[in-house]
Amino acid sequence: MTQNAGAYQEVEQIVGSQYITDKDVMKAAYSRNVDPAFPDRWADIIVRPGSPEEISGIVQIANKYMIPIVPRGGGSDLVGGAASQGGILMDLTRLNRILEINEKDFYCAVECGVTWAALVSELYKRNLTTGVLGPGSGFSATIGGGLSNSTAGFGSTKYGLVPENCLGVEVVLPNPTGDIIRTGAAANKYAAPICRYGFAPDFSGLFMGDAGTMGIKTKAFLKLYPNPPFKILRNFMLNKNKYEIVSELMYKLQSQVADGMHDLYVVPREVVQLQQGMAKNRPPEAVRIKGPVFMFILEAFDSRILDIVEEKVNQIMADDATPFDWHDIDLDEVPAKDWKFTLRFPYNYFNRYVSLLPSRISCTTCHKIPVSKVAEKEKLTSKFDFIHVKDYPPESAAVFARSLHLLPNGHCVVAGGFNAVNSDEQHESAMNMWHKKIRFQVRYGAIHYWLGESISQSIVESGVYSPEYARFFKDMKHVVDPNFILSPNKFHMHSYDDNIADHIVEDEVLGETKEGGSE
Amino acid sequence: MTQDQGEEFKHLSKVQKYILQCIGCGDCREATDITAEPPKSGVCVAREHSSGFEPFFGRGKMQIIRSVWEKKLPLSKDMAEIIYQCPTCNACSEACAYDMDNVELYEALRGELVDAGYCLEKHADMSRSLVDQDNPYGRENAQKGDWLKALDVPVKRAPDEKAEVLYFVGCTAAFTPELQSVATSTVNVLRKLGIDFTVLADQEVCCGSVALRTGFCDAFESVAKKNAALIAESGVKTVITSCAGCYRTLKRDYPEYMTDFNVKVMHTVEFLDQVISENKPVLKNLGVKATYHDPCHAGRHTGIYEEPRRILAQIVDLVEMPTIKENAKCCGAGGGVKKAFPDLALEIAKSRVKEAEDTGAQYLVSICPFCHRNLSDALNALQSPLIMIDLIELLDQALEDESK
Repeated sequence: MTQNAGAYQEVEQIVGSQYITDKDVMKAAYSRNVDPAFPDRWADIIVRPGSPEEISGIVQIANKYMIPIVPRGGGSDLVGGAASQGGILMDLTRLNRILEINEKDFYCAVECGVTWAALVSELYKRNLTTGVLGPGSGFSATIGGGLSNSTAGFGSTKYGLVPENCLGVEVVLPNPTGDIIRTGAAANKYAAPICRYGFAPDFSGLFMGDAGTMGIKTKAFLKLYPNPPFKILRNFMLNKNKYEIVSELMYKLQSQVADGMHDLYVVPREVVQLQQGMAKNRPPEAVRIKGPVFMFILEAFDSRILDIVEEKVNQIMADDATPFDWHDIDLDEVPAKDWKFTLRFPYNYFNRYVSLLPSRISCTTCHKIPVSKVAEKEKLTSKFDFIHVKDYPPESAAVFARSLHLLPNGHCVVAGGFNAVNSDEQHESAMNMWHKKIRFQVRYGAIHYWLGESISQSIVESGVYSPEYARFFKDMKHVVDPNFILSPNKFHMHSYDDNIADHIVEDEVLGETKEGGSE
Repeated sequence: MTQDQGEEFKHLSKVQKYILQCIGCGDCREATDITAEPPKSGVCVAREHSSGFEPFFGRGKMQIIRSVWEKKLPLSKDMAEIIYQCPTCNACSEACAYDMDNVELYEALRGELVDAGYCLEKHADMSRSLVDQDNPYGRENAQKGDWLKALDVPVKRAPDEKAEVLYFVGCTAAFTPELQSVATSTVNVLRKLGIDFTVLADQEVCCGSVALRTGFCDAFESVAKKNAALIAESGVKTVITSCAGCYRTLKRDYPEYMTDFNVKVMHTVEFLDQVISENKPVLKNLGVKATYHDPCHAGRHTGIYEEPRRILAQIVDLVEMPTIKENAKCCGAGGGVKKAFPDLALEIAKSRVKEAEDTGAQYLVSICPFCHRNLSDALNALQSPLIMIDLIELLDQALEDESK
């Protein structure tokens, strides 16, 4: 029996004995997510509530006994956001109902434990879409997790990040009374949840990208879009391995094609070479990989419009690139001409690169930078990796980017990181290097998106929060969570007595990057 | 792997390469995909019919296996209670982005649990019966040929009477009165098609599937060796079986455990599909509407999807359920679940039956006596108008007996 026996019994009264456990075998099963650089973390109590009211009751008990709570959606995050050492781990996947799909007014209301794949599957039946399809783990990842992690995913080139498509949320606050509130138009009991602004300050934003620190999301109200039925995959390989050209082309594509692109991923040359090397079924003649590959998913409501979009892309790419097909380096890949959009494409796109045999741990450093700075940041990263080559755990492989994913408004996600041998001995050095690299990126001007524990702490360590900002942040947290029970440790907030400035690390080699992101 | 780990976990050490391979993405939880062909509507039936905590689907089990392997979690009775609530349908493996056979890992953990004395008593009884009486039902194995009494013509008896094909009946069809028609229909169909075959009858030993699936590897080896010797003595070239569980075991597991086991193994339906396409016998369309349930051991475990459908398309009006082929929902009986957790098996089967009812079919067809049994229990519990039938029984009705 857990040390929190009183709390256990009271929570059990709320959810029933079937949905609460403190057995070791259960704790072990929840000890990790896609984040093996972290040590295993065992919660004291794991609970699967079935309604906001049950969550509110559990929050009240946690406040009474001063037990921390960590909310957990699909458990597919890479940054240590959804595991708990001690306390209550709250598995939210029972909140899995799609409440309303309003086809006429283009919004939906869902419980936050619904997976992206389940929602998108329902929407596709009605020729609708959420636009951005949620994270790469969308078969498992939940709507709530996507909001808490401010995630990007397939569709982000056109539709932006997940929170940008959120009209409001219902949240259980971690305060002693476990208040349940709604934000945006959903807070007006007379209104449909059609928009986010114009009712009060944008309190939805407080809960977007919060890594589960500000409230427990129970419902989300999301924008819907008509789903363009015509989608094609097209790829081009740059003739030179120059990131200056990447920036220039991204700018031109954004200026001249924009909404025609559901996605643009730029896959660096070395990653394409890796894919070529990993292919089990290779063509007899090896293709020479000269530069990064631009992978487009283009979409339109009319095939004639799609033809125009494709022609425009062809024109823009013509001078610097040649058409490319993944099938030409891996015969198991479907040729672009036969490609058909299925959810397996976005939702299994990254998985297979996370754990290569022999299986390794992966420390993600995904972040956003302006399109115009891609070449500069790539050079800085190469220099950082070169200087710190001995600081990485043995046999690590680091990449500037697994891919660059264009977002609206002139910036892109640099999805990258490094891996290391998956052994307990390597976890600490991997974790140290992970923090160091994030601090370096923050100081070169990177804005990350999923923050979890490792990245949120590293941001604080980089010292970019001004004292005023840090105080404001803490004050806001105090308003919603006066007993500090929700998701401790993230953002290096361990208690209200703790000064997060104490965690600033001043040890970076590329110190000159503090001055604005360039050498 | 340390030497220590290898010595302590002899079953897990065989699959240790894959223990850390699971990244924990959770695709094995409930992946839904309207764009897949066939569409996917959830993954893990055990999770759907339990409290839904992580250990009730693939990812949680993989974390438990890792924790055991890394000696962070001891084997325990609690663990066994959960790990055995999995029908080992392998839908999790199908959902996985990696080339991983999850069930192989679960069975390795079950092996460790058995060796450590944490098996479930009902499975232990079954295993003892297997070793002592050559079948898991605690019956005198001499009764295993009783089904032959319903036939009005003699059947060759292996190993003494020779033929190229051995029909391996399996314990469930041989011992269960309501399922003996699977065996008799198989004999009828083979005879109508002019196939020379033989059966082991009361000499047939259980294939050992139940033991292997529940972690009793020694018991499995004991019966597997007896069967392999009988099959070798029979001198047959091909073994056919109408049981999906026997089929998976004879086809995949025997060669792995006994490198000299090299006889060709086919499911009866796979065999007959070939015969029918070559000989083109007259098949009567029965004029009934039927839906087909893919048994996990014939489907996800061994890839038989099209053969039964090709036959059914010729003899009935085949209507498909929403989840079929590699994405089919399991009936819930396998992996020792029906024996140790009959209520769970029944609840899972009820869901499958409801899916079948929604097609408007009159018949629910399968090619596995064990699925047949569990789904029949669900039909009875639901008082469903659907009729459970094995494909071979329908084929028997559809084939003219040209010898008469």
